[in-house]
Amino acid sequence: MKRELLASSVAAVLVAAAAATASVSIQSTTVLAKAISGCAPSQLHLYRAGQLTVATDAPAYTPWFEKNQPRNGKGYEGAVAYAVAKALGFKQSQVHWTIESFDSSYAPGPKTFDFDINEITITAARAKAVTFSEGYYNDRQALITYKGSPLVTAHSPSQLKTYKYGDQVGTTSLAYIEQQIQPTQTPAVYNNPNDAVSALSDRTIQGFVTDAPTAQYMASSGEVKHGVVVGQFPSNDQAYGLLFHKGNPLVSCVNRAITQLKNNGTLTRLQKKWLGIYTSIPTIQP
Amino acid sequence: MTSDPGRFDDSPLLVAGGPPSNSLGGGRRHSKLQGRRAVAVSVASSVVLLGVLAALFFFAPGSAQVRQTFFNIPDARTAFLGDPRGGIFSELDALLINIELFLTAEVLILILAMVIALIRQLTGPVTFPLRMIAIAYTDFFRGVPLLLVVYAIGFGVPALNLAGVSTQPVWVYGLAALVLSYSAYVSEVYRAGIDSVHPSQVAAARSLGLSHGQAMRSVVIPQAVRRVIPPLLNDFISLQKDTALVAVLGIIEVNRAAGIVSSTDFNYTGYTVGAFLFLLLTVPMARFTDWLIARDRRRRQAGVAH
Repeated sequence: MKRELLASSVAAVLVAAAAATASVSIQSTTVLAKAISGCAPSQLHLYRAGQLTVATDAPAYTPWFEKNQPRNGKGYEGAVAYAVAKALGFKQSQVHWTIESFDSSYAPGPKTFDFDINEITITAARAKAVTFSEGYYNDRQALITYKGSPLVTAHSPSQLKTYKYGDQVGTTSLAYIEQQIQPTQTPAVYNNPNDAVSALSDRTIQGFVTDAPTAQYMASSGEVKHGVVVGQFPSNDQAYGLLFHKGNPLVSCVNRAITQLKNNGTLTRLQKKWLGIYTSIPTIQP
Repeated sequence: MTSDPGRFDDSPLLVAGGPPSNSLGGGRRHSKLQGRRAVAVSVASSVVLLGVLAALFFFAPGSAQVRQTFFNIPDARTAFLGDPRGGIFSELDALLINIELFLTAEVLILILAMVIALIRQLTGPVTFPLRMIAIAYTDFFRGVPLLLVVYAIGFGVPALNLAGVSTQPVWVYGLAALVLSYSAYVSEVYRAGIDSVHPSQVAAARSLGLSHGQAMRSVVIPQAVRRVIPPLLNDFISLQKDTALVAVLGIIEVNRAAGIVSSTDFNYTGYTVGAFLFLLLTVPMARFTDWLIARDRRRRQAGVAH
């Protein structure tokens, strides 16, 4: 019952979204309507026939998802997943979500999903273990601290080196701290972003680096107690990609769907809609 | 009572064991042949077993991928030595943190656990609340997963915002969690050792005019500790590995350094290197424990009172 309600509300949202797309330009609707040849659901190599199985981690963080419910199609990644599904010709009800932790998403062996959408940055080293789609979002790192921290005002490149940072294990944000900021103190490295947020709230660490939308959300939602976004760092040409089992042929159809969504402006529109209020942050230098 | 030496015969430490069972009489040639045959059989069976395991590993459908993911030589090198430019920390450096934590924790645990064990041995109604606290303590910390204790102390104490207590470096909280949890186990090991000393020894000591405290200190504890050294070392092997749990507090020890390597490059070789480093710590300890047990058995059999 609850599931049906949810499904119908998802459908309602999607109808609304489709209507919005249609009103933006007639051209984009015609492009959307045209299915990608050779990529119909019946022709695809899928984890479960007739359905698109999409994975993400639990909890699913805002603004990438909303209310920790990927199925509602809200939040940027939730919306992108459904947009990709739609471009391939899947109905809303044919999209199934499954939970996959970041740590296990790249384990060798068969995967239990078609693709994983979980703010995963594409890097050459990672692409040896998994297959990535085209990027669907160019992420920029941002720095968050707490009100009253010296970081709020003193953040020249040389001053940035003097603080105690913390981050989630193995993220590109942690790599950014080590490679670009190069602090004198060893950073604290946590299992998940929540632990880093706790440490920042307790002032065990002074700074936490994450992508700009997440940083802004953590500060504005009060997730970090008295959180302040210091600024975002210049773009370093890194993008989030969908993660596939190494060599999964499905990626070529998904890439064509992403290219279509890029060209017809859907990705930009979804970014404005779900991330817009989170990305207007001053730029600082590492 | 003390004049009857027969009462002491119950004490395993004072019992003269029989001679070693290895008979060195005739049949030496026969046993030599038998020995050779045994060696040949054991070598053959080991080779067969290892061969089957190797075949399973190398001919499994996913073998190439598993080797690439878990046993990648360049990645192992990076994990071992670190790569600051790539944001990778050296697991060898990280191992020092595990060793420091382990050594510090071990000393504190030996002391705290003895205090708890002695409290549980107290008699008399006045000390009842103390005994209750000691029992509750061991029940609680043996019952709660160590990881939860690490989390609760590591994130809970700083959040309390207590002057002096909440502003410690993170490793202090990790150390505290290890000490609290392991002291509960080790106190039980001590207690078993103390209980294994025959009551007649205390009776004898008391009849010689020693107080309860003196009897414990000079007669019971020395024998008890000597007997529980192997199980104590067993607990410490376990402690060596569990130092990895403090990683959740953000400390870059071996396990965390391995995690950074693996999720940065999507390759688990860092964990393989981590496992190897832990084995370097724990295997010598395990061999040492076995050697101690064997020595103890030899001495008992030879009737050496030690």
